[in-house]
Order: sequence, then C-alpha cells, then structure tokens
Amino acid sequence: MVFIERRTVLSGMLVQEAMRRRVIRVSRETTLSDCTNRMVKNKVAAVLVTAEDDRPVGVVSKTDLIGAFYADLPVEAAAADIMAAPPLFCFPDDSLESAIDLMHARGVHRLYVSGAETDRVVGTLAYPDVVGLLYRYCRACGKSVSKARRGTEDETNRSRLRVGDVMTTSVRACKTDDTLAEVIDNLTTHRCGAVLIRNPAGHAAGVISKTDLVIAYKHGEKTGTPAQVIMRHPVLSCDANEFLSVALQQMLLKDVQRLFVYKDDPALIVGVLSLSDSARFRSGSCRACISGRLIVGV
Amino acid sequence: MLARDIMDTRFHTLKPDETVAQAVKMFQTASREEGKKIFGLIVVDDADRVVGMLSMYDILLFIQPKHMKIWGEMEDLEPDRLFNDLLGKVKGIQVGDIMTTEVVTIGPEMHILSISDLMINKHIRRLPVSEDGRITGMVYISDVFYHMLTQFLD
Repeated sequence: MVFIERRTVLSGMLVQEAMRRRVIRVSRETTLSDCTNRMVKNKVAAVLVTAEDDRPVGVVSKTDLIGAFYADLPVEAAAADIMAAPPLFCFPDDSLESAIDLMHARGVHRLYVSGAETDRVVGTLAYPDVVGLLYRYCRACGKSVSKARRGTEDETNRSRLRVGDVMTTSVRACKTDDTLAEVIDNLTTHRCGAVLIRNPAGHAAGVISKTDLVIAYKHGEKTGTPAQVIMRHPVLSCDANEFLSVALQQMLLKDVQRLFVYKDDPALIVGVLSLSDSARFRSGSCRACISGRLIVGV
Repeated sequence: MLARDIMDTRFHTLKPDETVAQAVKMFQTASREEGKKIFGLIVVDDADRVVGMLSMYDILLFIQPKHMKIWGEMEDLEPDRLFNDLLGKVKGIQVGDIMTTEVVTIGPEMHILSISDLMINKHIRRLPVSEDGRITGMVYISDVFYHMLTQFLD
C-alpha cells in the first residue's frame, strides 16, 4: 500500500522550542485601562488573569477589550468582568503542529504553556513566535538564499516563494468617515486583526488594527469617532512580487502582525499577508521546503 | 533621619496624556534643572495624585523589537531605516500607555533605614513621598546613600 504523509518544516518540533517564557499577568481587579497598558508596553495581544495564589483563571485579549469598547464599558471596569475563562493550555513537550491545530480550531491567537503542575504557567505560544522560529530555520537552511553560490542565483530566486503565493486576497476595508463602531463590526465579523481604511477615491489611506482600537479606548475616544481620526498611516505594505522571506523579515522587525500587499501601485491594495497566515502555512520561504513536505512511503 | 529631611522637593512630573516625545524632553529638562541624571519621572493626574512612574526603561522596552533574537542573526539589514521605523511606533502613544502603574510611595515620617530597606528589597531607586494623597517630594537612592554614609565617614 502506498501512502503519502504530509510533513512540514514544523514536524518534530516541540512547543518549548518556540514558546516565550515571559508571561504578562494581571489580577482580577486590574482595570481594563491597566490591561491595555501592559499589552502596549510588552507588545502582547493578551494578558493572563491570575488569582491571589498565582493560579491562572482567565485571559483578557485585545479582542475582549474591543468588545468592551463596543459595549461602552468604562475603562475602569475590572479584568474579571470581561475575561475569557478558562485559558487554553498546551504543554512544553506537545508538538508544535498540534498546538497550531488547537489554536486554529478554537479560534485563538495564543496558548498558555503549563508545566507538570497544571496550575503553573511557564510560557505562551503565539503565531508570531512560530513564524520567528520558521524564519530562523529558513535562514539556517542549506538552500537558503544567503548561502546560494554565484551562478545558481537565478535558479534559487525562481524557487523562492513570493508574497503573492501566500497572501490572503480578501481585504477588509472601511471608509475614512466610517465610525469606530463600524470598524469594530467589520473586524469582528471577519475575525481579522486590522482593516484597511480607504479614502473616497478608493485608495489606501490608513490602517486601524486591534492595537489602535484598544489604545483609542484607553485614550477615551468614543465609538462614534470617524476612522480617520485614529487610523495609522502610511499603510505598511509590500509588493506581491516581493520575496516572502523579505516580507516576513519586515514584519518581525517592525513588530507588525501584517503587511498589506499591492500590485505595482502602492495605492491599490490586492491582499494581506499576516503572521498568523504565515504560521499556518508551516513552511519556510522557498519551494525546497514545500517539496520536502511530501514523503511517499510504501 | 526621616524621609522629609532628605527628600528633594524640587522635582518634575508628567501627565498620563502627554506624548512620549514630551516625556523625553521632560527627562532632559528635569536632569538640567535638578542637577542630576533623571532616569524616571513620576506621573500625576490633575489632582496631583500619583498614577504611575515612567522610566527610561519603560520607553526602551516599548521601542525594542519583540523578536530581537532574530536581529542578532541578520547581517544584511539596513539598520538606519529600520530604526526610523521603530521610532515611528511611538506616534500616538501616551505616557499612560507605557508607564508602570504600580508605584510604591512612602510617607514623610519614614525612617532612612526603612527607606533603604525598601529600596534594596524592591529594587527601587526613587520613592515619591506622599502626604494626603499628594506628592510633596522625592527620595533618591543617592540621597539615602550619602546621608547614611557621610555620617559614618565623618
């Protein structure tokens, strides 16, 4: 009998190789304003809520904070009022693949890692950490572009994946005069991390991410505020023809979760490349990786 | 010797809705006017109550790329451009977004030995002195140090 096993670069890797050991904790009484402070300062998308005895009891994510913003909850409300409970866990010796599958199935962007005592949290695993690992793997690979010898460069470049190969072509967008409530509607309906803000001519004018929304909430903006007041510009973008490795590098270094993708003209956005898509893609940045994923056995 | 005897009543403060750029300017002003290197400033609300502390460390932590490990492995970067991009992140960020909100304060009657004990145990280098909820002075580790040790050395 012939079977084909799908293998990915991540096969055989464990959670402990990608996880971060620094866990940002708050108490049940911590205000939403202070939760935002911890997230912005530590560049995390969620904080772990722990009880007096350090036991993990819930999670407050940027998505939860945006929900509170939408519902006009005061920023002085407590973490316990909006936290999702219980937190989702994996173990340091779980396979990275199963952890990503769990994240995808449960629609969360991170898992907490617990040790032998399940009451003790020893780390977190989020999509960008997986991409970071893939990226480093890729750079160390014998087929890596940085190691290509002269004369084989053309061939190497042909086999390198480009942004257009991996990006998502559905781009969620709002208009500059849409309210923040409409932006939140759009974000939550489509479960994305940021929306593009288009000007009346349909060109990319700015971006509003979940981070921008939670900061606006903390700063006392109202949900009726027009999008253009808080949008960030310029839009961080790249050409669809750009090498995937270059785009990943840019995201990891600039601490952004996504780049908008244009074709030829930067004002015309045709797709999005996000770190979570890249993590789910489970491959390095050239075709050598993909062909290596199929193992035929007898 | 008590906190009120050694505290510095000349100090500078920040407001939570000031920008990071304004905070950086205030670090420079404070260092100049107080005649010492200022690494952290107290953040007060409109009623002069302490709401936080912003240190240089907080600002550096925010600017630092999260995936710093990867930087170390790259030799083909254009550092200047990336650095500018990093500083661009500061736009729209206020003091209240990145300040430390858990601030230890002391009363004016605290003894210098208790102050030094607190500084050692909590790794604190400056303590705001609070009276009736309002900040009236700052005690720096250098003040504690010189007040304690010059006595022994004289």
